Amino acid sequence: MTWRRRQDPRVQDELRYHRDRMIDDFVAAGMDRKAAERRAFLEFGNVAHLEEQVRDVRGRWLADLGNDLRYAVRTLRRSPLFAAVAILSLALGIGANAAIFSVINAIMLRSLPVAEPDRLVLISRLSETGRPLYVPVRLFELLRDNLKSVSGIAALATLRQTAIIDGEDELVNADMVSGSYFDVLAVQPAAGRLLTPADDVISTETPAVVISDRFWRRRFGRSADAIGKAVRIRNRVFTIVGVTPPSFPSLRPDRTPDLVFPLQPLLTDDQRRSMDLNNVMVMARLAPRATLAQTDAEVQVLYRGFVELQASMDREKDRPAILAQRAAATAAPDGFNPLRYDYGRSFLILMGSVGLVLLLACVNLSGLLLARAAARQREIAIRLAIGASRGRLMRQFLTESLLLASLGAGLGLLIAGWLARQLFLLFLNGRDPLMSVAPDWRVAGFTAAVAAACCFLAGLAPALHAVRASVNPALKEVRGRGTGRLGQSLVVAQLSISMVLLVGAALFIGTLLKLQRVERGFDPRGVLIVGVRSAQPYPAARIQAVHDALLQRLRALPGVDAASATLMLPVTGSLWDRTVQVEGYRFRDDESDAVNFNAIAPAYFKAIGTPFVSGRDFSAADTATSPKVAIVNDSFARYFFANGDVLGRHVTAAGVTFEVVGVVRDAKYQSLRDRVMRTMYIPQPQRDGTVQPSSYNYLVRVAAGDPQRLVPDLPRVVRDADPALRLQTARLYTAVIDESIGTERTMATLGAAFGALAMLVAALGMFGLLAFQVARRTNEMGIRIALGAARGSLVALVLRDVVVMVAGGVVVGSVAAAMTTQVAQTLLFGLSPTQPAVFAIAAAALALTAILAAWLPARRAANIDPLVALRHE
Amino acid sequence: MRSESPKSDLLQGTLDVLILKIIALGPVHGYAVAQRLQQISRDVLQVQQGSLYPALHRLEKRGWVRAEWAASETGREARFYALTREGRRQLEDQRANWMRLSTAVTAVLETE
Repeated sequence: MTWRRRQDPRVQDELRYHRDRMIDDFVAAGMDRKAAERRAFLEFGNVAHLEEQVRDVRGRWLADLGNDLRYAVRTLRRSPLFAAVAILSLALGIGANAAIFSVINAIMLRSLPVAEPDRLVLISRLSETGRPLYVPVRLFELLRDNLKSVSGIAALATLRQTAIIDGEDELVNADMVSGSYFDVLAVQPAAGRLLTPADDVISTETPAVVISDRFWRRRFGRSADAIGKAVRIRNRVFTIVGVTPPSFPSLRPDRTPDLVFPLQPLLTDDQRRSMDLNNVMVMARLAPRATLAQTDAEVQVLYRGFVELQASMDREKDRPAILAQRAAATAAPDGFNPLRYDYGRSFLILMGSVGLVLLLACVNLSGLLLARAAARQREIAIRLAIGASRGRLMRQFLTESLLLASLGAGLGLLIAGWLARQLFLLFLNGRDPLMSVAPDWRVAGFTAAVAAACCFLAGLAPALHAVRASVNPALKEVRGRGTGRLGQSLVVAQLSISMVLLVGAALFIGTLLKLQRVERGFDPRGVLIVGVRSAQPYPAARIQAVHDALLQRLRALPGVDAASATLMLPVTGSLWDRTVQVEGYRFRDDESDAVNFNAIAPAYFKAIGTPFVSGRDFSAADTATSPKVAIVNDSFARYFFANGDVLGRHVTAAGVTFEVVGVVRDAKYQSLRDRVMRTMYIPQPQRDGTVQPSSYNYLVRVAAGDPQRLVPDLPRVVRDADPALRLQTARLYTAVIDESIGTERTMATLGAAFGALAMLVAALGMFGLLAFQVARRTNEMGIRIALGAARGSLVALVLRDVVVMVAGGVVVGSVAAAMTTQVAQTLLFGLSPTQPAVFAIAAAALALTAILAAWLPARRAANIDPLVALRHE
Repeated sequence: MRSESPKSDLLQGTLDVLILKIIALGPVHGYAVAQRLQQISRDVLQVQQGSLYPALHRLEKRGWVRAEWAASETGREARFYALTREGRRQLEDQRANWMRLSTAVTAVLETE
């Protein structure tokens, strides 16, 4: 290192020169050389120590850092196994932290790639939990025409539908936007032009559409010919006029649309007029010098007027609920971001857990370093004796852990990108990740901070211990109390952290088990769920024929027990409710008269496995023109017809009166977590309005075996039913159910993994400590045996330590867990965050692990041969 | 271990100005600084190595003196210190300060 040689002030040489001149002067004054040297030595003192002082004055940490690093590399090279274990465990710990932070960064911290994202505000209704909700188009228009504190305002709706380009139909993800959209977001076209307010009108001419860069590449190979092509969707023809840039995906950061349509041409009259069909999200840009508070105040006034108008047009009974709705303008640099609410809490809990795992790894590393420091006691004592300052030695120790942490962080960052993507996919549960979670500069900064924290956590304890050592006993090779107390505290710390993670794991596993065992009211085994789409919507008159043709062909497949169709599929989150009047039942004023609705084909209950309580199923004879009939669920029957017959009673909804012909067992529709709603089923042909086959879920139940064997035949069967019909999805119903509890499953899996990892690390830490102590006390134990102590008492000696440490870990860990598990409340099911049984299970697992870890050292203690032991030292 | 506290009876802060003054007489190495201080003060002022060298390096770090290795009067290489322009200014300031202070102290002490 040449720079160092050039800058080195050669302090030692300078001091030696001084001492030598003193000796020369003494000799000149008549002293003999030996005496002169002695005198000079006495007067001068310790050259090395003075040199240290001078170097301290000069400030030399950079040169020292270089020295320390070289020294640290040398020491680590001498114990490659220790180095490998330490670096790998840190790499995994830091990598996992960086990965989870990458996902949090992507779903919660990143801004939209547009100009001045800080000036964007989201204007939305708010759910009870404060989550933003879509708003009606009419509210958007009211805001657009009246807000003064914004320079622009735009609306966005999403669409997943079949589009036909060049005669080829394909399912596309599309955005529908107001004409101001690209202006508000200040997006420039990659080719052609983008949409303007002139495009966003209900006109008879061919309206415009733009495509995303991704779609341009995939479908047209970035050819300029794409501009001017026709796109047919929902029976309207649009012309491609431009391409959005690759940097800008959508106002929704979680998706990249294929096409972006103007809003007005695709809205239905219902959507334009309604005050309660919530189907757009609204984003505005603050005017120069305007503040968010100003916009929010304006929104409050406008929204109040809106809901009052809405309430005045509704029934007296529903007014309080309508007026209780809230809306707000909120800062939204990340656009309209549902991921933040879907996964934010899960990932924050994971971040906490993985942080604990890393803390555990640091404590473990601290223990290892402590053992090494104990082994280096003599070296340290010598250096202290010859004048090294304690601060200097501490810095050297910290350099060693800094090196370990840096290498760990470097490796960790390498795996973080891959790990982040895997984690994200795990949560999306098979859905297409339409966004990137790759690490960026923020993740790199986070990783560096984590590594620095690791360095201090792992290095400080051993460093302090080492330099607090007194010089004399170490030099004389007397065995002091050594690392016993500190080592035990470290093991208790590990056990406590493990306890917290085990409680978390037990809570999430318990939640998953309860969800899997909860009464659902149907049997998904052996059922295939089939979804279809058509190139173009069918005319109303044709729908029933296509629907029936498909059902008939599905029923005819070999081995099929039952085939049917339903508008709402249980546990997929769908819900359709209507207000009803029930024969012989009077609603109180404050009682909800809304019930769940579902439209189904005959044999639905046989296909999904919900048993009848009484009455009959729908049949082919229940048509649009036959008498209106309904089947109700058990909850419905018991609520409205508590005393008396159910069959033959009448229920009226939207002016149509249905006769109840059957009662079925309860089934959960929204999710496995929710309670069962009062539900009413009507025959699919008797539903009002036109519903395309693509809106239905077709169910196929096989008598035996794997229903997936039918999948190869399905595309042909679907085309046979109608040439324009396509197979869209064919999935096992069990897989659909699994997906509905995907987050819970992932949390349980990761929770269990973290818990197991924690137990393993804690067990290793405990094993190491006990083995070390037994080895150190071999001599003492030998004497005890020689004096007649029972071998059992020696085991008890070891186990007493174990009991103390486990008890400490369980107590500290339980307190910490009880204070933190509240965060997971909303993710749990059927368990409270402080369920005593959960804590008991976690404590038992910890104790069992500790006993396993203590077994070998205890056995060694019991098998000590007094003769060997007494010669041990 | 020896105590490191300076044994000189120098007032806090006066060591720097004395060293600067001696270096101002011409480039010197550390040993010579100690010798001259003792000679000029007629053995009244003595500076220990434990104070001298940290002080020299502190002055160098502040940019008041610069150092280079050169052959000494014995022929061996020694580290010679010389004043920088900033060092000369500092010496002037601190000397004036000291003079004012000592005149004042003397005046007080000699009051009958």
